[in-house]
Amino acid sequence: MLKMENISKVFRTDVVETHALRQFSLNVDEGDFVTVTGPSGSGKTTFLNIAGLLETYSSGTYELDGKDVSNLSDSARSRLRNEKIGFIFQSFNLIPDLNLFDNVDVPLRYRGFNSAERKKRIEEALETVGLSNRMKHLPAQLSGGQQQRVAIARALAGSPRFLLADEPTGNLDSKMAHSVMDLLHNINAQGTTIVMVTHDPGFAKQAKRNIFVRDGQVSENTLVEQDLPSAASA
Amino acid sequence: MTQLNLGPIFRSLLRNKTGAILIALQIAFTMAIVLNALFIIGERNDLMARSSGVDEANSFQISSTGFATGFNHLNTLEEDLREIRALPGVRNATTINSVPISGGGWSMSFQVESGENKPSTPSSIYMVDEQGIDTLGVELVAGSNFTKTDIRLRDGTQEGWPQNVIVTVALANDMFPELDYAETVGKTIFINNTEPMQIIGVIDQLQAPWIGWNKLENAMLSPEYIVGDNWNRYFIRAEEGMRDQTMRDVEELLAKRADERLVENLRSFEEIREDSYSRHSAMIQILYVVMIIMIAITGKGIVGLASFNVNRRLRQIGTRRALGASKANIVQYFMTENVVITTLGVIVGIALTIGLNMTLVSAFELGRMPWYFLPLGGLCFYLLGQVAVFGPALKASSIPPAMATRNV
Repeated sequence: MLKMENISKVFRTDVVETHALRQFSLNVDEGDFVTVTGPSGSGKTTFLNIAGLLETYSSGTYELDGKDVSNLSDSARSRLRNEKIGFIFQSFNLIPDLNLFDNVDVPLRYRGFNSAERKKRIEEALETVGLSNRMKHLPAQLSGGQQQRVAIARALAGSPRFLLADEPTGNLDSKMAHSVMDLLHNINAQGTTIVMVTHDPGFAKQAKRNIFVRDGQVSENTLVEQDLPSAASA
Repeated sequence: MTQLNLGPIFRSLLRNKTGAILIALQIAFTMAIVLNALFIIGERNDLMARSSGVDEANSFQISSTGFATGFNHLNTLEEDLREIRALPGVRNATTINSVPISGGGWSMSFQVESGENKPSTPSSIYMVDEQGIDTLGVELVAGSNFTKTDIRLRDGTQEGWPQNVIVTVALANDMFPELDYAETVGKTIFINNTEPMQIIGVIDQLQAPWIGWNKLENAMLSPEYIVGDNWNRYFIRAEEGMRDQTMRDVEELLAKRADERLVENLRSFEEIREDSYSRHSAMIQILYVVMIIMIAITGKGIVGLASFNVNRRLRQIGTRRALGASKANIVQYFMTENVVITTLGVIVGIALTIGLNMTLVSAFELGRMPWYFLPLGGLCFYLLGQVAVFGPALKASSIPPAMATRNV
């Protein structure tokens, strides 16, 4: 599903050269649930940005779903993001002026679905996250956990094969964080590949595999003993 | 195909309406003022483009005032005309009491019936000789021209008027609306209530000296030489393209007797027209400046609001890019948002434009604005909006998708 080999990312200014990733290599199989942990500044978010085609890389090769993405144009990368990748952000990144329906609708419009198709997908996605009765609410009228559920619905509505989550529980209290994790496990159980950056070792252990990033490199890549929460295993 | 986002954009604007409403109102007011200004400019230009009837490109005037003791006005006048007409490059010359559209002249009222308190029609009067028609460059369309014997002398104590006169088509129609202008030849009209005059000819067009007069096209030629006060105005028509040289030659000719008279007011007809319409020209320039300032302010306002919206939505734009929006989608979003705001501005602007025009119609007797000003004006404001918002939209499209994961 995701195959990175010797990816390097260098940020340059006039006086400083920062190596965010060095010879970073990783394979993620279809249906996998991988958590990415590591200290602040280790390169987790850079890895996630490159994996999600949000940023380009300095050297190395990256194949997404069997396709080399090295030389894709900006619009081709946009299309690929829209069709194959779902994003979940730490700060939810909902558009505050749009209600839940319109928020989930955003990527679907870029996909070019017709109105009826979009409506069906939005309703199904919001149903999946348990917010179908709040479609006309604004994000500000929801709790943090509910907002993150909307963000997950937005990520799911386009039926992506690959879900990237950047500390999705980082801004949530424990109860809401567990509820979001349960949801992610359910989604993964239905076949969606998930790569999630987290600081929470407990959640990291719930994934099928954990990689530990240090100084821009994968320093540990371990299969996790399955200790799934009850909701996920149900 | 990517959707236009009209619905979400409209709903989003409803939740942040202050800036959008201010810009829409700015568009509306600018549209009302600019369209009415353009309409006024159009009307003024139409006024300025009216033909005086004179061969303007080739004509000029010069005046002579005798001051020497024993100055023989009539002899000088006849000699001047003879010599001027003989100059190379001169097509013809006449004396004239005033010049069309120059601002100063003579008008009288004329009646179809003799007697006091009868309906009358005003008209300007130009005192010329038998060469007047050719010199002015007007066309005799009915009847005949003056003969040498028609010309009479008008000195300071002269009373009464010549028997034969020539009128414009407009004056003929004004006085005899039931007749074709050609049928007015031979008709008698009355000046000073009871003094008869006969129309012997009709000319196509000649404007009065006063450009704002509602009877501007009413003019009469009266066959007279003014000889009472040693003053004469000569009106000269040069051959095609010879005007400037002829002006110099005529001035030089008349200046030969500078010891007994003053030669002045050498002016081409184009200069006379320019002076007469200088207030109109000034108003047009002022309106253009006002229009440019208002359009610039509105354009700047649109740029400002769009730039503010881009800076306020950095994370949001990054998120949209991360969710699959291409750069073109982001540009399209801001352009569409501007269309929504401009539509509101144009709708209000149309109402304001009509209201302002109706006010101008009743207060200043302007004409009604043609209907097509409104759609064309609206279209121009859509274009203005799209051009103004394009820069900020392009800037927005350059925000990288990675902005979605940054802490801004």
